[in-house]
Amino acid sequence: MNVMTFGPELYYLAVALVFFALSLRREAKVVTDYQVALVLTALGVVVTAACLFQQGELFFKAYRVDLFSQIFKFALALGLFLVLTISHNLAHIEARLHAEFYLFLTTTTIGMMMLVSSVELLTIYVALELSSYSLYILVPMRRGDGIDVEAGIKYLFIGAVSSGFMLFGLSYIFGATHTTYLSEILPRLPLLVASPIGVLGLLLSLAGFFFKLSVFPFHFWAPDVYQGAANQVTAFIATASKAAAVALLLRLAALGTSYGYGFAQALMILSIISMTLGNLVAIVQKDFKRLLAYSSIAHAGYFLIGILTLQETGYIAAVYYALAYLVMNFTVFMVLSEVAADGRDLKIAELAGLHRRSPLLSMSLIVGIFALAGVPPSIGFTGKLLLFTSAMNQGYFWLVLIGAVNGTISLYYYLKVVYAAYFIDNPALPPLQLSGPIRLLNYALIVVVLGFGVFPDRIVELAKAAVKAVL
Amino acid sequence: MVEHAADFPYLTCMLLAPPTGLVILLFLKQEWKFLIKAVSLVAAGTSLGLAIFTFVSYDKALGGLQFVEKYEMVKTFGITYFVGVEGLNAPLLLLTGIVIFTGVLTMWELEERTKEYFIWMLALVTGVFGVFMSYDMFMFFLFYEIAVVPMYILILVWGSTRKEYAAMKLTLYLMAGSGLIIPGILLLYSSSGLATFNMLALHGAHFSPWIQKVAFVMLFFGFGVLAAVWPFHTWSPVGHVAAPTAVSMLHAGVLMKLGSFAILRVAMYLCPAGFQYWMTLMALLATIGIVYGVFVGLAQTDLKYVIGYSSVSHMGIVCLGLSTGTVDGLNGSVFQMFAHGIMTALFFSSVGYIYDRTHTRDIHELGGFSRIMPVASAFFITAALCGAGVPGMASFWAELLVFIATVKVYPIAGLLAIAALVVGALFALRVVQNSFYNEPNPKFTHFEDVSPFLGLPRMILIGTLILFGFFPQIMIGLIKSAVVPFLQGM
Repeated sequence: MNVMTFGPELYYLAVALVFFALSLRREAKVVTDYQVALVLTALGVVVTAACLFQQGELFFKAYRVDLFSQIFKFALALGLFLVLTISHNLAHIEARLHAEFYLFLTTTTIGMMMLVSSVELLTIYVALELSSYSLYILVPMRRGDGIDVEAGIKYLFIGAVSSGFMLFGLSYIFGATHTTYLSEILPRLPLLVASPIGVLGLLLSLAGFFFKLSVFPFHFWAPDVYQGAANQVTAFIATASKAAAVALLLRLAALGTSYGYGFAQALMILSIISMTLGNLVAIVQKDFKRLLAYSSIAHAGYFLIGILTLQETGYIAAVYYALAYLVMNFTVFMVLSEVAADGRDLKIAELAGLHRRSPLLSMSLIVGIFALAGVPPSIGFTGKLLLFTSAMNQGYFWLVLIGAVNGTISLYYYLKVVYAAYFIDNPALPPLQLSGPIRLLNYALIVVVLGFGVFPDRIVELAKAAVKAVL
Repeated sequence: MVEHAADFPYLTCMLLAPPTGLVILLFLKQEWKFLIKAVSLVAAGTSLGLAIFTFVSYDKALGGLQFVEKYEMVKTFGITYFVGVEGLNAPLLLLTGIVIFTGVLTMWELEERTKEYFIWMLALVTGVFGVFMSYDMFMFFLFYEIAVVPMYILILVWGSTRKEYAAMKLTLYLMAGSGLIIPGILLLYSSSGLATFNMLALHGAHFSPWIQKVAFVMLFFGFGVLAAVWPFHTWSPVGHVAAPTAVSMLHAGVLMKLGSFAILRVAMYLCPAGFQYWMTLMALLATIGIVYGVFVGLAQTDLKYVIGYSSVSHMGIVCLGLSTGTVDGLNGSVFQMFAHGIMTALFFSSVGYIYDRTHTRDIHELGGFSRIMPVASAFFITAALCGAGVPGMASFWAELLVFIATVKVYPIAGLLAIAALVVGALFALRVVQNSFYNEPNPKFTHFEDVSPFLGLPRMILIGTLILFGFFPQIMIGLIKSAVVPFLQGM
């Protein structure tokens, strides 16, 4: 076994140990810890990038390293680093807990990294739980007035229930095929096409990922957790965690190819309900993070469009959109956490006067929001159109029509955010000062969101190469 | 269609001039207002210069698609950057160039959030240029959406009368249209089996009649929202009234043409059988639009509403011309897109000047305005005469061609439309009389007339109208060189 094939995971394990050591100190050194964390995670991005083209199978073939997994590991490492760049001011987390905050963010990242490489049912489950348990601790870590505890409990309960569903589904698959390896399950599935046990087992075992992706009917946690958790934790849940969930859904859903119609129909119903529900409920939200939570439910529906095509183009579009979603959603969360510098929950109305307080942030907000809404020239537009194209290629005319109509509905609430930032002014609010690195981050995100929106070819080709490993 | 590659990327330069200006603006300070305007003017001027160049140097004898540039964008999905010029889009590129150039000049007096204003305006015009020159359906739609969305911010921040309502209404209407366009173009893409968005290639795909019918009606209504096809026109008068002057100019002058051009370029070109099936409906809606626009316009007292409804009516003429599916009809229709674009830009530009000073657009309040500002009034009156279809103006020829074609194909609709136009002339004259030739309102007597510099953009527009009014053959010959092969291909 080459160390490089397991490189990212080992690196982050070492990083976690460093944070563990830091957390043992009697007196917390907030600034030093932050600098250490930033440097280590930045290095992590480099390490995962260096391991991008590794290939191999580890641990009795339960663990597969291919371009697909490595791209998502890179996305996860990038997501962790980005979340730490906006964590310079963890106002709502006690100073002595900062090292633990970094520690659990790292462990959850390790869990997700293992998740995207797992090709055996039990490994998948263990990796999923590793990432979930760290998040269960991170959510209530915020110093709040009870809302954090409510969010934590809700997250834990719904997470546990969906894990239960998942185990139940996995047991069906194991019972029907007598193996836990995905590669061996696949050839045995066609024998089960006539019996509903396979479809049911597969759908139930997807539940754990539906939970992470906040697909209906596992979406109830999203608004409360988004609102109740610290802004930085929410940013992580909303970006990196989604990418990992999409990755695993793509791997598992590939099993459904042999069921064809029925399986895709079930996913299609979930997709339509998710996007319609998310978009409609988002319209009435006043809290910015709750609005983004419902927007994430709607986006879960869009992801499913790519997954349910069960075809190469759909998978490419889903991978592209997952990477795009990570960047554009993070852009919005960065603006949110910079505006709410004291760590409070931000009302949409509190964005008032942003165009005057910080033109750069308001520009980033507009770019991020329009990307989420699917307005060109952004990665959000290109990604969404690629998803729709692949769905139409498979003949899902009505799904595309409903998706396109949903795009219109969603524009209404996204425009409300733009309206608040651009049109309403509150002269009492002073201009926002941005540090140099944050300004740089703003420019970088804007360039990425717009640049890869107009020239998506490199990402699409990368996604194409990655998807070959899955299908 | 024969493609002639460009020896120099003229079209890309035309397309990239506004965004280049935009990027430069990002690095300028808010306070440097003159520099901001100058950069915008240079960017717009570059595009205009290149548009004039392509318009003049398009070789009619050679025909086909000229100045072609092609680069692959996304291989896996068959998306290419594919731009070119032919007789159909050359006039519209010229129109866009003229309107953005005069639009920047018109907004020379803007003081409020100048930098952001010009940034969004240049973003918008990039989308417009992109739509008119793209021959790849994906890029076409991408540019189409770019043109639609900055409008929200432009109206919201710099608009007037009920701007919040108007901005939201306009954006949601147009995005709802996009909700129909996306499935429409993807249906064509996927059912062709060619895995390409190249429209020339898709033209040869021979879609089944059923697919053509479904796709055509979706594309017609989707793009029709932007072309203000009745009954989806209601966003347009409200939006035009609320928008700041140059945005009204761009919007009524150019953006609405995106809708009708897209119907011609995408819907009719790719779905000829669908067009045959739905053409009567098109003619019906267009005729209703013409008559409705004229009569509702009669009842308005706000000058901008008057123009807004006249736009609905004039866009109806464009649509009516398209629905005939004849050489004369299409000729007139494309010519009308151009003529109406220049004319409405002139309308809004002159009203904008008057409104900036008097802060009213009420016909009766203005009274005898021609005695206070004879030059400013003359601009409006010229536009009104052009709108009424007076010979010697470009729109006379355009409307004449459309009506000749319509009377042959749909006699009743044609006669109705002509009758409506007579009423329209009446209504234009009533507006002119009430606002410019009654007793002057003493409140306004201290205002000075238009200075030569501020009058320049309006002079350019009038000059264009008269030039093509006296030499329509320049335009008609060019358009015809594309329309004839276009119809043969259907």
